[in-house]
Amino acid sequence: MAFHLKSITGHKARAGLAALALALSSTVALAAEKLQYFTWSGYELPDFNKSFLAAHPDGVEATIFGDDDDAFTKVKAGFRPDIAHPCYDKVARWNKEGLLQPIDTKRIKNWDSIFPVFKNLPDLQAGDGKVWMVPWDWGNTSILYRTDLVKNPEASWNLLWDKQYAGRMATIDAVHDTPIVAALLAGVNPFDMTPDQMDKVAAKLREQRPLLSSYTTDMTSVEQALASGQLVAAMTWNASATSLKKQGVPVEFMKPKEGMLTWACGFVMLKDAKNVDLAYDFINSRLDADSGKFLIQSYGYGSSLSTAFAGVSKEELDKLQLPSDPDVMLKSTIFTGPMKQNDDVAKMFEKVKAGG
Amino acid sequence: MSIIVAARPSQEARVSPGFRFAMLLPGGLVTFFLILFALGLVVFLAFRGNDGSLLGAGMTVANFVTVATDPLYWTVTLRSLVIAGLVTLATVVTAYPVAYYLAFHAGRRRSLLLFLVTLPFWTSYLLRVFAWKIVLAYNGVLNSAFIESGLWSEPTLAFLNTPAAVVVTLAHAYAPFAILPIYVALDTIPRSLLEAASDLGARPFTSFRRVVLPNSMPGVLAAALVVFVPTVGDYVTPAMVGGPASTMIGTLIQSQFGKANDWPFGAALSVCVMLVILCVVLVARGADRRFGSRT
Repeated sequence: MAFHLKSITGHKARAGLAALALALSSTVALAAEKLQYFTWSGYELPDFNKSFLAAHPDGVEATIFGDDDDAFTKVKAGFRPDIAHPCYDKVARWNKEGLLQPIDTKRIKNWDSIFPVFKNLPDLQAGDGKVWMVPWDWGNTSILYRTDLVKNPEASWNLLWDKQYAGRMATIDAVHDTPIVAALLAGVNPFDMTPDQMDKVAAKLREQRPLLSSYTTDMTSVEQALASGQLVAAMTWNASATSLKKQGVPVEFMKPKEGMLTWACGFVMLKDAKNVDLAYDFINSRLDADSGKFLIQSYGYGSSLSTAFAGVSKEELDKLQLPSDPDVMLKSTIFTGPMKQNDDVAKMFEKVKAGG
Repeated sequence: MSIIVAARPSQEARVSPGFRFAMLLPGGLVTFFLILFALGLVVFLAFRGNDGSLLGAGMTVANFVTVATDPLYWTVTLRSLVIAGLVTLATVVTAYPVAYYLAFHAGRRRSLLLFLVTLPFWTSYLLRVFAWKIVLAYNGVLNSAFIESGLWSEPTLAFLNTPAAVVVTLAHAYAPFAILPIYVALDTIPRSLLEAASDLGARPFTSFRRVVLPNSMPGVLAAALVVFVPTVGDYVTPAMVGGPASTMIGTLIQSQFGKANDWPFGAALSVCVMLVILCVVLVARGADRRFGSRT
């Protein structure tokens, strides 16, 4: 009898332990199963990866950054997501720091539908059918202005230096936007400059500082300020133009004679990613034609997939000022590739912003 | 009395070294790892050269030379000190009457009022800054009110994205930090002193000037220090309501650890700011010794 009892309690205890272990391991497994995705604000929407979420409900956890230089320092300091979403000009820099692992294009099912202009970007190539970044989105940076408050401006970046509008303009607080434009206006090659040329760019930026209400990456605030009339012109990306036009605010996305900036961004896999299979599933889901179509229609950004453009009508693309082929766009715009002196330009820009 | 005094040493002797060690351990660990170690790391980093790696390379004083020779860092530090000084002045001047009322006239409502003073802390600091953004914006509360009342016809840009906006926002955020120490200082003034003053014929204002104010100075100085020190290094507020003209030293340090990607220089700037704040604190302590003591 005593033996019997003992065996029962022993059995119970073991069962309890097993249940506890199971519960623990399942929570551990659950925690590990979530894909960690580090991205721009607004890029975490579930509509971009519906098929992934159908296969892995609640399977992704997004962390947001304001700009991919900040993201770089955060990752460098020890933040370890599985995949991140920097832009092309930063890939070489991330790579140099040894943060990335190559992505096998054989496991990317829609790789062939990606526009060759993006597939063939030099800093992407990791050799052996592998790449450092899978391109996903591209778009433009230009001046968004109120057509009722700025009457018939000359199509030029100089608008953001116009003293008439002092205090009613804003610009993007990122090295690969505002300093590039300043370099273009100063007649300097933004992607490779000598120290003397950098002084010229700094002088141009200094000229602009007192005219600005803010340097920011908070596009929601910029959109609100443009809608209220506090700002009359600001440097923005396509998404702000699309969003304000949808709200009926009289705005125009300028085509400056010096050229808009065109950028391309995509997914990189971090070297010590824990969920590599999930990451491939996620990238594949994001490369569904529907996901690309949603990106075009909701934000006005270009998708890297030719198949995504097939689903959007010509009129709609015209309204979004988006050609269905990025090659056409790139004929008249400036592609933001890697800046050789990125760190020096960044330091200079920070000093100018502080008043130096 | 003598029994208690006699009992004390034996009681202390009875506390075992093990117990004392256990009691000191958590505080010691926190002090060592979270404060001294972190501070040591910052000082170490400040003397490194930037090669893009986490801890830098080589030992150098170049960072400090740059900080000392480039006028920009002096300008921005001075701007931070002026803004923090204005915030401190605004906070202490507005907090004093509140604390005075709480200490001398609040009566039964005192605990309710003290609760209300701390109420803003129930929401995040960021939300309070956003609230100020809404108040000061172009089409915000203040501008709308002025236009509705017919005082001016067009909304003004003069509120948001100015150093003044930073001062107002910070002064509001730090108000409780100033009210509480001043309240404590006022509350502990013996009421007999006030009675004595009026017995000797002092008018209310005279007794305030010669009894209440000097006795509350330690609280005022404590409040000033508690407000001044954190506001010098603040960077969220100028970034959100300040505009380019109110970049403070905190913003500059943050950008070295962020976009500019030069951690050693950021560390050197931090060390310099800590030294500047230390000087200010020493001056304040000198002032406390000279004017603040209760005599």
